[in-house]
Amino acid sequence: MKGGFMPLNMVNPGEEVTLMAIHAGRGLQSRLHSMGLFPGVKMKVLKGGPGPLIVSVRDTRLALGCGMAHKIMVG
Amino acid sequence: MDRREILDQVRKSSEHLKGIFDDEVETIIVDRRYGFINGIYKKVVSRPAIERLSASDQIDRVVLNRVLGIPIFLFLMWLMFKFTFTLSEVPMGWVESGQEWLGNIFGRFFPAESAFQSLVVEGIIGGVGSVIIFVPIIFLLFFCMAILEDSGYMARAAFVMDRFMHKIGLHGRSFIPMILGLGCNIPGIMACRTIDQERDRLTTILVNPFMSCGARLPVYALLIGAFFPEKGGTVLYSIYILGIVMAIVMAKLFRKYLFPGPAAPFVMELPPYRIPTIKGVIIHMWERGVLYLKKAGTIILAGCVLVWFLGNFPWSPEYSKDYDRLKQEVKADSASGLITKAARDESIANLENEQAREKMEKSYLGGLGRIIEPVVKPLGFDWKIGVGLFGGFIAKEIVVGTLGTLYAVGEADEESAPLRERIQRDTWPDGRKIYTPLTAFTLMVFTLLYMPCVAAIGVIYRETNSWKWPLFAAGYTTAVAWVVSFIVYQGGRLIGLG
Repeated sequence: MKGGFMPLNMVNPGEEVTLMAIHAGRGLQSRLHSMGLFPGVKMKVLKGGPGPLIVSVRDTRLALGCGMAHKIMVG
Repeated sequence: MDRREILDQVRKSSEHLKGIFDDEVETIIVDRRYGFINGIYKKVVSRPAIERLSASDQIDRVVLNRVLGIPIFLFLMWLMFKFTFTLSEVPMGWVESGQEWLGNIFGRFFPAESAFQSLVVEGIIGGVGSVIIFVPIIFLLFFCMAILEDSGYMARAAFVMDRFMHKIGLHGRSFIPMILGLGCNIPGIMACRTIDQERDRLTTILVNPFMSCGARLPVYALLIGAFFPEKGGTVLYSIYILGIVMAIVMAKLFRKYLFPGPAAPFVMELPPYRIPTIKGVIIHMWERGVLYLKKAGTIILAGCVLVWFLGNFPWSPEYSKDYDRLKQEVKADSASGLITKAARDESIANLENEQAREKMEKSYLGGLGRIIEPVVKPLGFDWKIGVGLFGGFIAKEIVVGTLGTLYAVGEADEESAPLRERIQRDTWPDGRKIYTPLTAFTLMVFTLLYMPCVAAIGVIYRETNSWKWPLFAAGYTTAVAWVVSFIVYQGGRLIGLG
């Protein structure tokens, strides 16, 4: 999948990826932004689905619902 | 500058910035903020070259495990109740004997049979005292909850429950207000503000009262102490779990019929685990526990005085028999040698008990009880429990306070026994015991589920800004409470319990 974007929930645990885009409404976008999730950010998936994921972003652990992870495109 | 001008200016400025940076303002602000943070971070933080799994991540591997997550959560909850209940027994005994001692002192200090003695001994010491007894258990429970919170486990609990919550149309975040509700429903309901979507927020608010708050603990503790002394922790745990299960069932129904729509996305930060500091835990325990004490000194005191008044007035009702004359006759019989001294004392005690009982039944409270009794009788409750539950609308501890006052009034003998023993002894007119373990359990279930207290209703009103939801919450919880209690009680009788 090199070069292509894929939703976050398809990433294997342990892999490090870069956030490319968030497909969400403005409210949700700004909320994710304020938690430090915006394009260009590097994140590592610690725990994959099904069910909620855990990603590590700058030493912070974020729990993301499955539906949420669908909307986050990484590469 | 009024509100509209400010908003206009905001819109103008953001359009302006958008023209320059070609991006949304929020994005620009966040971008700059993290740029700034990164700048500082690089200057002051040095990290080891090799990244390894931190201790937090290793704990999370177990605690958040797909299979183990929920059992671990349930086990920790069970441990918390077991610990609370076992450890609180001794200090509760101290407070209890202190209360008895006070009651006896004040009983002798004031002129006997006076309204003032009755107010102090029965109303205040009997009522408020029976609530104060449970201070140790409340503080211990808050102590355990503070440990779970400060260690960072509570956020994990929300994560673990997310998959489960997702099935009922809510997400893990809704679980946090529910866990807060275990302390008190009011902060629980207020914490629902952090839920973005209106329908998720309303659902979480409406089911929050099923989370068993600290105020209900005295009721459980009283009944468990009297009827389930051997398996206290387990019974208590089952009540809390029943509350959580009912909240989940109702949330599912609300999400399906009242507020249909897809679940909101779930994002939450998981703080790293920390070993809680003793100071921090004690401060948290104290902050919450002291509210309970304040409540006992204010609203519960007022409630108990009110119950005492309603239970004692009219002060001299019209009795069906002339008790004074009957007592005189017994004394005369004894004096003339017709009956023995022991028989005399017994018939006088019987007469006094009968008089006290009739007085209470003829009081305002007795009148109220007669109205309530038909409603609660199918659940195995007598009018005293009915009145207690009615008073519990002010604050749930008042259920215990009311019983404390009512039984202090009903007891004509001098020595004051703990409320626990008095309720064990009470009987229906036909001699059957009112309280069996089954009735006690049903009463716990009803107390858990029925109408939230006045303060919680007020907060629901404030948070939803309409009377519709608080009234709905009060109505549906009471209906659920009645139906579930009915099933528990009548079902229990069918299979031969109690």
